[in-house]
Amino acid sequence: MWKRLENTKFWRHPVARNITVCLGILAIATGAAAPVAQFSTNDTVNVAMIYILSVLMIARYTDGYIPGIIASVVSTFFVNLFFTYPYMELNFTLEGYPATFLCMLTIALITSAATSRMKEQSRILNERDKLLMEAEKEKMRANLLRAISHDLRTPLTSIIGISSAYIENNQSLSGEEKDRMVQNIQEDANWLLNMVENLLSVTRIRDGDTRVNKSPEPLEEVVSEAVQRFRRRLPDAIVTVQIPDDFIMIPMDATLIEQVLINLMENAYYHGNPSKPIKLSSFILDNRACFQISDQGPGIPDEALSSIFDGSPSSSQSSDSHKGMGIGLSICKTIVSAHGGTIKAGNLSSGACFTFNLPLGENTNDTKTKYFDH
Amino acid sequence: MTPKQSILIIEDEKSICSFIETTLTANGYKVQTASTGQKGLSIATSLCPDLILLDLGLPDMDGLDIIQKIRSWSSLPIIVISARTQEREKVNALDSGADDYITKPFGTSELLARIRTALRHYQHISDLKGSSAVPVYQYDGLTIDFDKRLVTLNGQTIHLTQIEYKLVTLLAQNSGKVLTYDYIINHIWGPYADNNNQILRVNMAHIRRKLEANPAEPNYIFTEIGVGYRMQESQS
Repeated sequence: MWKRLENTKFWRHPVARNITVCLGILAIATGAAAPVAQFSTNDTVNVAMIYILSVLMIARYTDGYIPGIIASVVSTFFVNLFFTYPYMELNFTLEGYPATFLCMLTIALITSAATSRMKEQSRILNERDKLLMEAEKEKMRANLLRAISHDLRTPLTSIIGISSAYIENNQSLSGEEKDRMVQNIQEDANWLLNMVENLLSVTRIRDGDTRVNKSPEPLEEVVSEAVQRFRRRLPDAIVTVQIPDDFIMIPMDATLIEQVLINLMENAYYHGNPSKPIKLSSFILDNRACFQISDQGPGIPDEALSSIFDGSPSSSQSSDSHKGMGIGLSICKTIVSAHGGTIKAGNLSSGACFTFNLPLGENTNDTKTKYFDH
Repeated sequence: MTPKQSILIIEDEKSICSFIETTLTANGYKVQTASTGQKGLSIATSLCPDLILLDLGLPDMDGLDIIQKIRSWSSLPIIVISARTQEREKVNALDSGADDYITKPFGTSELLARIRTALRHYQHISDLKGSSAVPVYQYDGLTIDFDKRLVTLNGQTIHLTQIEYKLVTLLAQNSGKVLTYDYIINHIWGPYADNNNQILRVNMAHIRRKLEANPAEPNYIFTEIGVGYRMQESQS
């Protein structure tokens, strides 16, 4: 009923709403004050308190200063009219009355003004927060776009270059050279595809709020599928996998978490030492599932550590398409954050190491919801 | 030599269609193509191909309708081509009668393997009408003797519970093919079972621990998250 009232056109008109709120609250206050005055004559202090409370409420639930001021004045008159001797008569001149009613009016006015101002300030603060968040999002989007255009341009340049070289020099190229060129094109195209899949994953995170469709998935199934897909793409890579013995269900969007695992493994493959194994291990810590991907390469330079998830291509690697994992890592961070987890990068004695964790949460039984209800 | 098996490709993207056609022709299949669902249906009814490759995103018809229309008169194998993120469509297609699916983009070897599996399964079913399927599953040290109800791994007998054995045999008899969660639950727990697949996944975890050396790197039973499970194709 209240909701219905809130949605009417009448309710949305500010003056009409203010008047209604004023009248309503004053009526309730009068109704509440009547029995108080009835049972304990001369208890005008409590009656005055009730009215001051009502003024405070009015200031809280109306817009601007005016309703509060009007309510203050009306309350003072009401108390005088109904609850003080002589009853049903306005009289401010009896002994002690001028001071009492002046005090009441002043308290009511100050209360209403203070409440209104507080409301106004919190509104301004809210707006400023919103603007800040918008700016932050805008910055992230700009960073991502810059990283995308950078990361996409390089393999495309090489594809276009190689294919035109192939067409122009078709006669003079040996079969072996041709094979190698086509192979390069294939590699670059595969890499582009991976990038597009990454971007598609991000669209699965609903716009506006950073939340995902979670359903409980067994840790081992997600890890094994990710490793399988990774091996299919990079058959030369060596991966060792370690998971807990227990059967663990983690609420997640499996497609997205697989993407994170694949990105981190690929990162380890390209930046680490491709001939040494990549280690993927997972364990439970503090009611969180942790995943750790480490390589045996040169590690991450200290100056890159702080901004590695920002999605901005670092200048030293700008010429090498495969090494520019700018977007990949920033997408990992977006996905993990959307799951309520954290991700961090660091160096072990043997090489770089990426760790992310996901909250285990309650083991809810909504496994089906993801695949069949939406 | 056996006569060439014929494959119908229903796919609206010209470049993908021609790449599949080239690959299949080079591998000894007879290929027909259709760029719309309507054309595909009419070719399917007039020429009765041995297998259909069906893209789910056709401009004129819903892929599911095509599967249902074909299923109303034939059980010929249908392999669905779909994009990675469409788990739900894949599951719907499989549950309405498609035999298998392949995710875009796919390599030629993967495509050929799927086609061989689907054709072989179809062959089995028509060869063995009435009698039980293959008597033994065998792959890389794992043997399942369906008559003796015996599962051995590298010569050692593996002890499975009743449900676990039923699950493994169901997957083994359909080895190489993906089985959806719903299909498995229907076959093991019956049509009135709770639709929650948690119990299935717990059982699969137990099986993995008994069969696989490392449950995170399975050798026999693979997970297709959001869709179901696929067992490595039998070598026997």
